[in-house]
Amino acid sequence: MIRVNIKKNQITIKGHADYEEFGKDIVCASVTSIATTTINAIIRLDSEAIDFKSDAGLIEINVKKHSNLVDTLLLNMTELLKELEKDYKKYIKINEEVL
Amino acid sequence: MKLMELNIQLLAHKKGQGSTKNGRDSESKRLGAKAADGEFVTGGSILYRQRGTKIYPGKNVGIGSDDTVYAKVPGVVRFERLGKDRKQVSVYPEN
Repeated sequence: MIRVNIKKNQITIKGHADYEEFGKDIVCASVTSIATTTINAIIRLDSEAIDFKSDAGLIEINVKKHSNLVDTLLLNMTELLKELEKDYKKYIKINEEVL
Repeated sequence: MKLMELNIQLLAHKKGQGSTKNGRDSESKRLGAKAADGEFVTGGSILYRQRGTKIYPGKNVGIGSDDTVYAKVPGVVRFERLGKDRKQVSVYPEN
């Protein structure tokens, strides 16, 4: 199961979806596509706004400079992940820190 | 800053996690010849174990309920042709 942890200055996406075998895991593919699109969009717009780590089973986004643009893109990502969670509850779980 | 590389299986389990559905086989039944052509055998000796009649019983040879052919008398084993495309085994007593 993929666990998404949302805090004010950090979003972590950890674990394996285990929806299907390697190469056919559509839940994993969706989560990584949403995250990669968001990270690369923010970096292209303001390369100082975030830094990130990505490895097998881990994506970590650290927000260094908030702005309307960055926050909107990150909100868009988390909302998309929540929609995904509705359809694939057994494979992705989102935990959001109340600010 | 370097962009993130798109690896859409980054959060998927590595290959080899799955299991194979094969890998079973029944106990080998050691079928086939139990006496060689020209060999001397005693009465009751098993000559050939088989499923169905690959080898037919010839002279002085009987066939069991599981199609095993066996010698009825002591003698020398002979594998012979039976018709166009069949084989039989016979036992010839030594005089």
